[in-house]
Amino acid sequence: MRANRLLIAAIALSLVQIGFLTWMIAGRAAILRNGTEVLLRIRPIDPRDLLRGDYVVLSYDITQIPVSLIGNVPQDMTETEEGPIYVRLAKGADNHFTAVAASLGAPPSAPAASGEVDIRGYLSSGWSLARDAVVNPDYGIERFYLPEGEGLAIQNDIRERPFSMRVAVAKDGAAQIKALLDGDTVLFEEPLY
Amino acid sequence: MASYAVRVKRDIARWVERGLVAPDLAQVLADDIDAHQRKSISFGAILAILAALLFAASLLIFVAANWEAMPRLWRVGLVFAALAAGYVGGAILKQRGHPAFAEALWLIGAAGFGGAIALIGQMYHLSGDEAQAILVWCGGTALAAIALRSGPLTAGAVVLADAWLAMLGLEFWASTPFPYGFAAVALVLWAISYWTDSKVARHLILLSVDFYLVLLAIEVNMFVVSVLLAIAAAAMFAFAVMRPADAERIARLDGRLPLHGLIGFLTGMTLLQFGMIDEVGALVAAAAVSFVGIAAALYSGGRDSRAVRWVAYLGFGCQLVFTYVVTLGTMLGTAGFFLLGSVTLAVLAWVIIRIERRVAEAAAPEGAKA
Repeated sequence: MRANRLLIAAIALSLVQIGFLTWMIAGRAAILRNGTEVLLRIRPIDPRDLLRGDYVVLSYDITQIPVSLIGNVPQDMTETEEGPIYVRLAKGADNHFTAVAASLGAPPSAPAASGEVDIRGYLSSGWSLARDAVVNPDYGIERFYLPEGEGLAIQNDIRERPFSMRVAVAKDGAAQIKALLDGDTVLFEEPLY
Repeated sequence: MASYAVRVKRDIARWVERGLVAPDLAQVLADDIDAHQRKSISFGAILAILAALLFAASLLIFVAANWEAMPRLWRVGLVFAALAAGYVGGAILKQRGHPAFAEALWLIGAAGFGGAIALIGQMYHLSGDEAQAILVWCGGTALAAIALRSGPLTAGAVVLADAWLAMLGLEFWASTPFPYGFAAVALVLWAISYWTDSKVARHLILLSVDFYLVLLAIEVNMFVVSVLLAIAAAAMFAFAVMRPADAERIARLDGRLPLHGLIGFLTGMTLLQFGMIDEVGALVAAAAVSFVGIAAALYSGGRDSRAVRWVAYLGFGCQLVFTYVVTLGTMLGTAGFFLLGSVTLAVLAWVIIRIERRVAEAAAPEGAKA
């Protein structure tokens, strides 16, 4: 009996952990399936992760948010506190989305016009909130994993030509990478699973 | 070399022969030795754990390679299968009486959980919080340790918690928040270590707490944290030496708690002195406290524990060199440094030889009497 209890514990443990991991996957797949698509302009930085193989570190045009776009900076606040920032994106002439407004802590109070999307980023503490300053939020899409050995090639090309990322944005603002584009050519398209 | 158990049994047999010990008492003693013998880690068990760690590494590297030849869902399935096979297979082996291989398989299960988190991060290009991923892995491993009542998994969870602490705590230049939560994590893992009966985990936790407090001192306040650490560690040492039975009941570390008290004390005193490196007067006072503390530790706890003695010698030597470099180092040149170094080593050697001989002499007559 006691021995069987151990076996049951092991099976339950496996189910709980696999269930948790499946929930993680399902959450990401849901964003890919249901999220609004936006196209973002990329600026490259640099690669590599020991545990998870090759990747390129990316930065986007919307990684630079002028403080003047943030509508709700409190009067007495001179530096950012750690927390979410919501950035409202609108489609520009070249099909790429750019930031038109931003808001600390919660989405901008004015409802989004049609075609506009609110994406959620995270700010670390200590960014200056002076009117002419710029803050750099993280959107959780700053990394693109590649099959082993392809990292450097992509990284070199990315320095020469404008690449873009198609990103799915969920209703709550969570972003998920969908496809990497070189000009109009799709280089990598992510399946749901 | 014959193991302790074999040697003691040989001795008992001789005592029975000479009529020193009654045969039924000899049987009781032999049974007791057998009962405690099984708890010690055998060479085979260590090899089994090493094999598991290698397999776990291959699993993680397999994930890292981002191998395109196999569809993603297959890879996910494979890692899930390794996870479940590790946990369930280990439970089956435990039932069949192979505890070492069971623990090894459980480690593979926990590695599968971590590998799956990394794989999902790769599949969906998740960026950012590696530290949080490690913490989730630590949580999963701790859960497994509870469910399976596994000591090695508890130790594994402590190592993962340390990795999390190092990742967040060592980034002084970045604006990552300081991992204050480590104190809570350490407390939870400590509680789990009683349930899983893992001394290794408790030793690791005590060392990790020293590491955490060093980071905390740098983050918050060098003086306050280091003084509190030194005082608390000295109190722990005193308690462990004066009330060994009570200390053992609480810490259950085979009487090694004084060692951690001394290590904590030395860590605190070192930090304190780094914090006031420009004030020579205060520095000398702190060094004096440190020397007195080391001497007191040697006097009160050194006789029973070789580890305490050697940590005390090491602390003594480091303290001497540190004090010299900071107070006199600028006045004398390199030649003076080497000269003082040789004198220091000579003094240290003399002290060590004296103390070790006295300990040996004190132990010898007791052994002869028994």
